[in-house]
Amino acid sequence: MCDTCGCQLHEHHHHDAKVVEVNRSLLAANQKQADSNRHHIEEMGAVAINMISSPGSGKTTLLEHTIEALKDTVRIGVIEGDIETERDADRIRAKGVPAVQLTTGGACHLDAPMVHGGLHVLEHFAKGGKYDLIFIENVGNLVCPATFDLGEHQRIILLSVPEGSDKPAKYPATFRSADLLLITKTDLQPYFDFSMEEAKKEALLLKPGLGIICLSATTGDGFTQWIDYLKSLLKN
Amino acid sequence: MHELSLAQSLIEQLLDLAKEHQAERITRVTVTLGPFSGIVRDSFEFGFDNLKQSQDATRKAVLKLETPDPVYICLDCGKVAVIPFSSENDRLESVRLGPFAKKCPWCCSNRLSPKGGTELILNQVEME
Repeated sequence: MCDTCGCQLHEHHHHDAKVVEVNRSLLAANQKQADSNRHHIEEMGAVAINMISSPGSGKTTLLEHTIEALKDTVRIGVIEGDIETERDADRIRAKGVPAVQLTTGGACHLDAPMVHGGLHVLEHFAKGGKYDLIFIENVGNLVCPATFDLGEHQRIILLSVPEGSDKPAKYPATFRSADLLLITKTDLQPYFDFSMEEAKKEALLLKPGLGIICLSATTGDGFTQWIDYLKSLLKN
Repeated sequence: MHELSLAQSLIEQLLDLAKEHQAERITRVTVTLGPFSGIVRDSFEFGFDNLKQSQDATRKAVLKLETPDPVYICLDCGKVAVIPFSSENDRLESVRLGPFAKKCPWCCSNRLSPKGGTELILNQVEME
């Protein structure tokens, strides 16, 4: 009896074997949604920024200051990603800007399908459904978010002074995926062994030509450069 | 990271392909894990070998993993070099002798920038 199909034919027969060339990414499903998100955001008239960093690097604080500086002239929407709580979305809402909180319950990164849901809610919140700038604050994690395109136009990696200047070398995949590196909490340099030279050198080795801005949300140092960068994205 | 969910995603692609080509089962799968993809080979294989058991169509699928060597471009001389990650033996030696410092084989600079290598590709599927 043939043990492939259980038939009783005496002569051995082969079921048709077939070789299929696929050449498709294992992340194709996420990528498809990400490309769709990007298009959706463009239809909304906006530019989207994915903010990635370790927990506590200053993403939300920077957003609070950014909103303060731009909210009268730029229509901002924020998608917040966290494992638990709505704390970050609440902070953004307190600044008078629509914010959607995506709580993953356990997932350590946002992915494109999650952001797709967030975009629809954000549209619903907006008066007239139009935005100029959409910030996506990813789950605090310097490893996993790098793998997942969310549909952003710019990917910003934040690295704060207390974390240490060896982090770009230690987390190459993440820093390599950056469109901009923000070195934050520069006001704390006197208290830490952070080598600005090392951080920049290692980051530029991974991504030659990478834009780097150093800033302190507390003192305002470098903040103008950051705002100018954002304005340059809106020019089109 | 996420070897398990990637393996699951692969299984789903295989099931779709089997259906599309009216095949009963997948016999062989070739996947390329880029050297800078951040995916750990053993974990991925383990994940796949476990998850494939859940479906008749994938239960007997053999996974062939291609892991190309890392490629770098030297930021000083501009030349491209293939520098394999150290083997298990080299790694034990380097623990004794000190860190393995990559150098450009052309000009000896240590300013090597990773080139490509982030791909995770389902190349080919054999089915019957």
